[in-house]
Amino acid sequence: MNLPPFPFDPQRAQAEMEAFRRKLEAGMEALKRVGPIELGTTPREAVYTEDKLTLWHFKGDTPPTSKTPLLICYALVNTPWMVDLQEDRSMVRNLLAQGEDVYLVDWGYPDGADRWLTLEDYIDGYLDRCVDAIRARHGIDALNLLGICQGGVFSLCYAALHPEKVRNLVTMVTPVDFHTPDNMLSHWARNVDIDLFVDTVGNVPADVMNFAYLTLKPIRLNQQKYVGLVDILDNPKELENFLRMEKWIFDSPDQAGEAFREFARDFFQKNQLMSGEARIGGRPIDLKNITQPVLNIYAEQDHLVPPAASAPLGDLIGSDDYTALAFQGGHIGIYVSGRAQKLVPPAIHTWLADR
Amino acid sequence: MSDKPHDFIDQYQAWVRDGVQAWSRQFDPQGVPTEMPSADIMGRLFAGLGGFGDWMQSFAGGQSPMGAFGHGGPGMPPFGYGPPPGAGAPDRERFDEWAKAANEALSLPAFGLTREQQEEQQALIRAWIDYAGHYQRYQTLLQGVHERANAALREQGPPTDAESMRSVYDRWVNLAEESYAEAALSAEFREVYASLVNAQMHLKMLQQRQVERAATQAGMPTRTEVDSLGERLQAVRRELRHMQSLKAEVEALRAEVAALRGAAAPAKAATKAKAAKPANVARAAAPAKTAKSANAAKPAKPAKPAKPAKAAKR
Repeated sequence: MNLPPFPFDPQRAQAEMEAFRRKLEAGMEALKRVGPIELGTTPREAVYTEDKLTLWHFKGDTPPTSKTPLLICYALVNTPWMVDLQEDRSMVRNLLAQGEDVYLVDWGYPDGADRWLTLEDYIDGYLDRCVDAIRARHGIDALNLLGICQGGVFSLCYAALHPEKVRNLVTMVTPVDFHTPDNMLSHWARNVDIDLFVDTVGNVPADVMNFAYLTLKPIRLNQQKYVGLVDILDNPKELENFLRMEKWIFDSPDQAGEAFREFARDFFQKNQLMSGEARIGGRPIDLKNITQPVLNIYAEQDHLVPPAASAPLGDLIGSDDYTALAFQGGHIGIYVSGRAQKLVPPAIHTWLADR
Repeated sequence: MSDKPHDFIDQYQAWVRDGVQAWSRQFDPQGVPTEMPSADIMGRLFAGLGGFGDWMQSFAGGQSPMGAFGHGGPGMPPFGYGPPPGAGAPDRERFDEWAKAANEALSLPAFGLTREQQEEQQALIRAWIDYAGHYQRYQTLLQGVHERANAALREQGPPTDAESMRSVYDRWVNLAEESYAEAALSAEFREVYASLVNAQMHLKMLQQRQVERAATQAGMPTRTEVDSLGERLQAVRRELRHMQSLKAEVEALRAEVAALRGAAAPAKAATKAKAAKPANVARAAAPAKTAKSANAAKPAKPAKPAKPAKAAKR
C-alpha cells in the first residue's frame, strides 16, 4: 500500500538534507578523534577467580561504613559493566560513596569449554563460592545480595537454597512472572524448540542474542538511533557516552548452552518461579524459604522486564519485610540515567542501613 | 540546483554508499589503509543512515518504505543466521515452482552404497525449502506491519508545511514501532516466529551433520566429539566438587566427634571420682561446669548410689 506523495518544498527539503549531510561529514572527523572506549572505571581488585569468573572488590575514596558487604550478581547476558559504565554514571561508585562495601560477580566470556555449565553450576557453584569467599574475608555468616535482571533470578534461587548466607536481598529489574502479556521476548520464546536450538548452536552466540534484542524495537534500535547519532556528533562528551553504551551493548558474552537451555525452558517457557516447580540441580526452589528482608526495584518503562513481570515477587516469598520500589525509567536507564544516579543507590543504602 | 526534486536524496544516498565502501575497504587486505574509526560503529552507522535514505526515497515517491523490519531491514542478522538462499528474491515465484518440483523429486527413495548420504542430502534440501516457506510467512507478517503503520500515518493527515522530513520520519518510526509491537505480541506472530527459528535450526543441524561426515572422512575431529568430551569433563568436575564437599563434611564431623570424645573423657573421670569420693562432689563439680553442654552433669547422677558408702561407715 503506497502513501500519497510527501508534499514537501524541494528547496527546503534539500536544504534540510544538505545540513544533515554537512553535520555528518563534520562528525566523521569527531569520530576519528575518539580514542579507545573503556568501561568499568572504579578502582577494583580481583579477590577470587575460577574458570572465566572473577569476583571483583571495589575500592571507594573512603573506607566503607557498612559492616555487611554487598555482592552484586549480574546477568549472564551482557557484561556487568552497566553498573560501572563511566565515572559519572556508576551505580557502584555511588554505592561506595554511600558507604557500602561492594563486590561484583563478573561471569566472563564462556567458550566451548563452558558449553555444559548448568544453572546449578552457576548458582550453586560459582555464585555460592563467591559468597563463601566474601564470608571468609569478612568473617561473617551472611552478606547482602543484589541481583540484576537474570542475576536477580539467580539471586532468588540462591537465597531460597541458602537462606542462611543472605542477610538482605535486593532484586533489580528481575523477572518473576515470565508470562505477562507485555513480555515480548518470552512471547516469542514460548513455542521455540529450545532443545533443538541448543543442540544445534551449542553456546548461544552473543550476536544472536543481540539480534533478538534489537528486533524488539527494530527500526528505533537499528536505524533511528543512528540517525539521531548525527545530532550529537559535534558534542564530544555525548558522543563518547553514546559509543560507551554502544560498546556495552555489543561487547557481550556468548551464553553457555546448557544454562541457556534450562533458563529458557524452565523460566521463559514454563514460568516455574510462578508455579513453584523450579528446580536447580534437582533441588526445589521454594521462594517461601526467603524470609530475609527483600527490596524489589523495577523500572516502569522497562521493555525487557515489564513491571508486571517483577511485581508479583512480594506474594511469592516468605518474608514479612518486603519493599517494592518503582523507578521512572527503562531497563538500562535505571543504572545510567542522571535521575538513577541520584535516586537508586541512596534508596538501596538507606533500605539496607535500616535493617 | 537540480531540476529533479529528489536529486538531493540520491546525492545523500550516494554519499552514504561512498561511506559504506570506505568502511568496507578496511576489511580488504588489498585496499589502502584508512583512518576510519571503529569498524563496528561505522558499519552500524552507515546501515542506519542507508535505511534513513531508503525511507526518504520511498516516502518522497509516495511508496511504502520497505525493508525496515526483520531480516531484510537494518541491522543484518549474524553470519549464518540470515534468510535462506532464494527466499525474498525478485524471482520468488520461480523459486516456489522449483521447490514444488524438488519436493516431488525428493520423495524418491535412495539406493546403493551412498543411500544414507543421499537421504541426508534430500532431508537437507527439504529443510531448506521448509525454512524458505516459513521465512516467507514471516515476511508476509512484517509486510502487514508496514501497511498498518503507513495507514496510521495516512490517517494522521499529510505533513504540515512546518514539518521537516526528519520530524515526519520520527513520527513514522513511532507508528511503525507501535504497529510492530502489536503484531509481535499476537498469537500468530508467536507461532510464525517459532516456526521460523525451528526451521532454521533444523536446517543448520542437517548442514552440520554433513560437514561432520566430511570431517570424519578426512580424519578431522568434529564438534560432536568435542562436545562429548566437554560433557564428560563437566560431569567429572561436578562429581569432584561433590566429593570435595563430602570430604569437607566428613572432616568437620570427625573434628566434632573428636571434640565430643575429648569433652566426654574428663566427665567420665569426674563421674568416677564422684562415685569414689562422695565428700568431694562439690570440688569435682567445678571442672564439670565446662562440660555442662556435653551433659557431663547427668552421668554424675549415678553418684547417688554412693549412699551405700554410708552403709560402709556403719
